[in-house]
Amino acid sequence: MDPSLVNDSSFSPANPSSYTLSEIWPFPVNDAVRSGLRLAVNSTPSDKDVSTAAAAAAAAEESTVTDLTAGWGGRKARALNSEEDESSKMVSLSSSGNEVVRFVRFCDDLNVVVSVDLKDSGEKKRKLCGSESGNGDGSMKPEGETSSGGGSKATEQKNKPEPPKDYIHVRARRGQATDRHSLAERARREKISEKMTALQDIIPGCNKIIGKALVLDEIINYIQSLQRQVEFLSMKLEVVNSGPSTGPTIGVFPTGDLGTLPIDLHRNIYEQQEANESRGSHPEWLHMQVDGSFNRTT
Amino acid sequence: MASADKPINTDVPEKDVFALHFLQSLSNLRRQNTFDSPEKTNDRVKKIKKAAYVSMARAAGGTNRLWSRALLRRAAKENNKVVRFPRRKKRVTCLRRRSNRRDPVEEEEAERLRNLVPGGGGMGTSKLMEETAHYIKCLSMQVKVMQCLVDGLAPK
Repeated sequence: MDPSLVNDSSFSPANPSSYTLSEIWPFPVNDAVRSGLRLAVNSTPSDKDVSTAAAAAAAAEESTVTDLTAGWGGRKARALNSEEDESSKMVSLSSSGNEVVRFVRFCDDLNVVVSVDLKDSGEKKRKLCGSESGNGDGSMKPEGETSSGGGSKATEQKNKPEPPKDYIHVRARRGQATDRHSLAERARREKISEKMTALQDIIPGCNKIIGKALVLDEIINYIQSLQRQVEFLSMKLEVVNSGPSTGPTIGVFPTGDLGTLPIDLHRNIYEQQEANESRGSHPEWLHMQVDGSFNRTT
Repeated sequence: MASADKPINTDVPEKDVFALHFLQSLSNLRRQNTFDSPEKTNDRVKKIKKAAYVSMARAAGGTNRLWSRALLRRAAKENNKVVRFPRRKKRVTCLRRRSNRRDPVEEEEAERLRNLVPGGGGMGTSKLMEETAHYIKCLSMQVKVMQCLVDGLAPK
């Protein structure tokens, strides 16, 4: 008996956290199926929960109707086959906007195969497991790998609403180079932009700037100014260091403690040093006023 | 990489450690420079600067940070010394990922960063950002410490 493909059109778009059973499974179900599905649907998007849900569903199961595999949790699908061409997967709906859904596939009683064709940001289609039961085991493992790849990149998937389709069909997973590359690209870019926001927090005055290029300009300017300050201060220190009576009065701004040095002071020093660099000789920038107290660092 | 992104790990370097190292190197230099000669001022400045960076690299990252390693290696090369670092086992995945690390869109900006941050040539863009963050923190710490040193050592 071949599971026949059922075309169904009722799939609510853009409502990831409020799937009801009637929406996703518009067929008459018996209790076992309902319990299994309910457990799956209500599971929180964590691997443990889903696998326990699967296990619980499988445990509470009547014998003949459904077979559930914990396909989500261990990244591997174990087909609990009671009959030869039976295999099934778990439905897990994550409420965090990841729309990777796998459906329980029932055989025999319902004679349907339902799966979801996901669109992943329009670039490619995430293909789910093969429809053929003969391919069930063979295609489940790459499906597990896809899901592992997809799960790790799940946070980067765009939350594309499911378009109302005329039919829901199963495609064998391709997972070829282009798809994986674009996924990897996206993951990379996400990581880099995340680190850039971390950088933005460090650098003062960078929060308001939007746009990667400008932020990077700011970062580069800041690093350069810091390096110039180090040079400037090392020049000062050299004067201090050499000479038995450490020479002329070195003028600095009142700095006080280490921790509360405002960054504007740094900028002032930097600009001052820039202005003084043009003079080119040592003693001139040393003739400044000194005031304020200081703290030793050690 | 792990599927869950860990929070960006940048340890704030310890000011005390850095100050200690720096002061030690400063006193070393001071003992060396018993004479004052104006021609050698620039050399001394450079030495101090290098000492500052080296002590910062040692204090802040140790050998766990790429930029500190590059700094120390560069400094050691100038002194004709050889620096040894404990090599971590290179994973094959790292090598394989290197071919993919550059993206032509972001590359021009990353190029400038690479020129600034020591050791930037051998890192992917993502790693570069981490190192930059840590480097900036260490640099600002260094500036503050040097500032206070100058204040402290200067005569009133």
